[in-house]
Amino acid sequence: MIDISKVVSSLEKNYIRKLLKQGKRIDGRGLFEYREVTVTAGFVPKAEGSADVHIGDSRVMCGVKYDIGRPYSDNPDKGVCTVMSEFVPIASPMFEPGRPGEDAIQLARVVDRGIRHTNCLDYNELCVKVGEFVYILFIDCYMMDHFGNLTDTAAIAAIAALLNVNLPRAKIDADGKLEWDGTYRPLNISEIPISITFGKIDDVIFVDPILAEEMVLDGSIAFAVDEKKQVTSIQKYKSATWSVEEIMETSAKAVEIADELRKKLNLRQYTPKAC
Amino acid sequence: MTILVQEPHDEVCFREDGKRLDGRAVDEIRSFSCEVGVIKNAQGSALVRHGGNQIYAAIYGPREVHPRHLAKPDRGILRVYYRMATFSVHERKSPAPNRRENEISKVIRESLEPVLFLEAYPDSQIEIYIEVIAADGGTRCASTTAASLALADAGIPMKSMVVGVAAGKAQGKVLLDLGDKEDKVGQADIPCVVVMKDKSISLLQFDGEMSLDEMKLGFEYVLKGAEDIYQSQLEALKSKYQKISEEALKEDAKIDKSAIATEEKIEDGPAEGPEDLPQNKSEDAVDLPVAEKVEEKAAEPKAPKAENPAPEPEGKTTPSNPPGDA
Repeated sequence: MIDISKVVSSLEKNYIRKLLKQGKRIDGRGLFEYREVTVTAGFVPKAEGSADVHIGDSRVMCGVKYDIGRPYSDNPDKGVCTVMSEFVPIASPMFEPGRPGEDAIQLARVVDRGIRHTNCLDYNELCVKVGEFVYILFIDCYMMDHFGNLTDTAAIAAIAALLNVNLPRAKIDADGKLEWDGTYRPLNISEIPISITFGKIDDVIFVDPILAEEMVLDGSIAFAVDEKKQVTSIQKYKSATWSVEEIMETSAKAVEIADELRKKLNLRQYTPKAC
Repeated sequence: MTILVQEPHDEVCFREDGKRLDGRAVDEIRSFSCEVGVIKNAQGSALVRHGGNQIYAAIYGPREVHPRHLAKPDRGILRVYYRMATFSVHERKSPAPNRRENEISKVIRESLEPVLFLEAYPDSQIEIYIEVIAADGGTRCASTTAASLALADAGIPMKSMVVGVAAGKAQGKVLLDLGDKEDKVGQADIPCVVVMKDKSISLLQFDGEMSLDEMKLGFEYVLKGAEDIYQSQLEALKSKYQKISEEALKEDAKIDKSAIATEEKIEDGPAEGPEDLPQNKSEDAVDLPVAEKVEEKAAEPKAPKAENPAPEPEGKTTPSNPPGDA
């Protein structure tokens, strides 16, 4: 067990800072070296799709469920997809039971935007009857062990769980009623967004901060990157300020790291067969 | 909530050959496996797979009580949070805790309190967080089994382990360890938690119709099933320490080997060591480490692999190393 308090001593902060200035990290990684990522998918039988992702010792479990409801009036032919996150107190002595706090909401929204703005989902496919019935997908991310960089962990878990979805398909019968057509099919997913987070202490930038670094860093920035090597969403956290050069350099680095990670993980292998 | 695929609601709980739908006999438990130490941040943790249930339990504490007014000056308090993941059930569950979860948290807490020494932790709390990741009937029993394992893993003294398992009745037959369907369409359900030391029951609920004789048979099944699960619990707790001791032995072996290697090196040429330091940094000594490497390989074929690729730091640390290693 690692002892984590809400306060990191200035001694530890100075040590982490000193190491980073020398281009070193307290866990021995290089500044732009990502931790080991492992993915297990389809482990929850009652979820339409699920994924259990570790980045180092950080762990997020994600499950996808659906509902069929009315579409939004401004998008009558499009399905809906929401990401929610739960910082369950199982994951860390710092998390408390209760409604999601602002960190949990921010994380969910960052993951949501990563998925939304890469246009990876085919929202028209999720429409059963225009203006009446659309699929509503719920992507619920549970933080199971917190050792830093939960954003990236949750983002990988969310897209892996979506790729793992086998959705029962609906049809409209002669009376205009909704019913199951007897088949399950995976979602049509055109893009795989990957989120890459960088931390910043003074003027040193590094990828994939671990918990101890996260607790002392001045700020961090998360990029969602698509397969076309474009950055599709950015979130800056905390109070550090970033120069335009830093942002551009970090974006380029994010694209590079995301590309490598995407190849290595080969998340499409978790897509189930239609039945 | 509109969902397309409904769960089966027919009453059939037996196959044609008289066995249950999953092939079990009436007095047989579902497949069971467990593991401890699965949540690294927690003081103690456990994963229980019981049938289709996947349940994580984590212990935090004993630690300070928040809010303070809940603290008791003469004893510690136990707090249990049983929660189900939204995707653990057939129809998505709302993430907010409902009445059922609150009640189950309470009965689990009361089933664990009798085996703990709460009087030893005045003004403190022990928290048990239970997360049901996949639910398949009998989650309160499996959760208690997981909580008991997590408490033991956290090193919190206990009078006994506890095991949760249910009996019940479906289509007129008394059954051990109801599955999801048997639980939903069956006639009766008796979730029990057994204190293994004296076989007393610390959690008991009952819903349905059963004669007293049937109930007696149900309890017999429960005690029998609990014993099986208890053995798996003990195995899981032991195997964690077995793993640790195996790793420690490996580490010991490594240290022994490197100690022998460094001793031999000192015998080979104690004078060379200190002289290496400045030389390695200067440019004309660039090929020296390579030559040294070849010699080492020839002289000590048994030296551990890790040492060969990095002769430079090895050379630097050698003179001060042996006392530290020993």
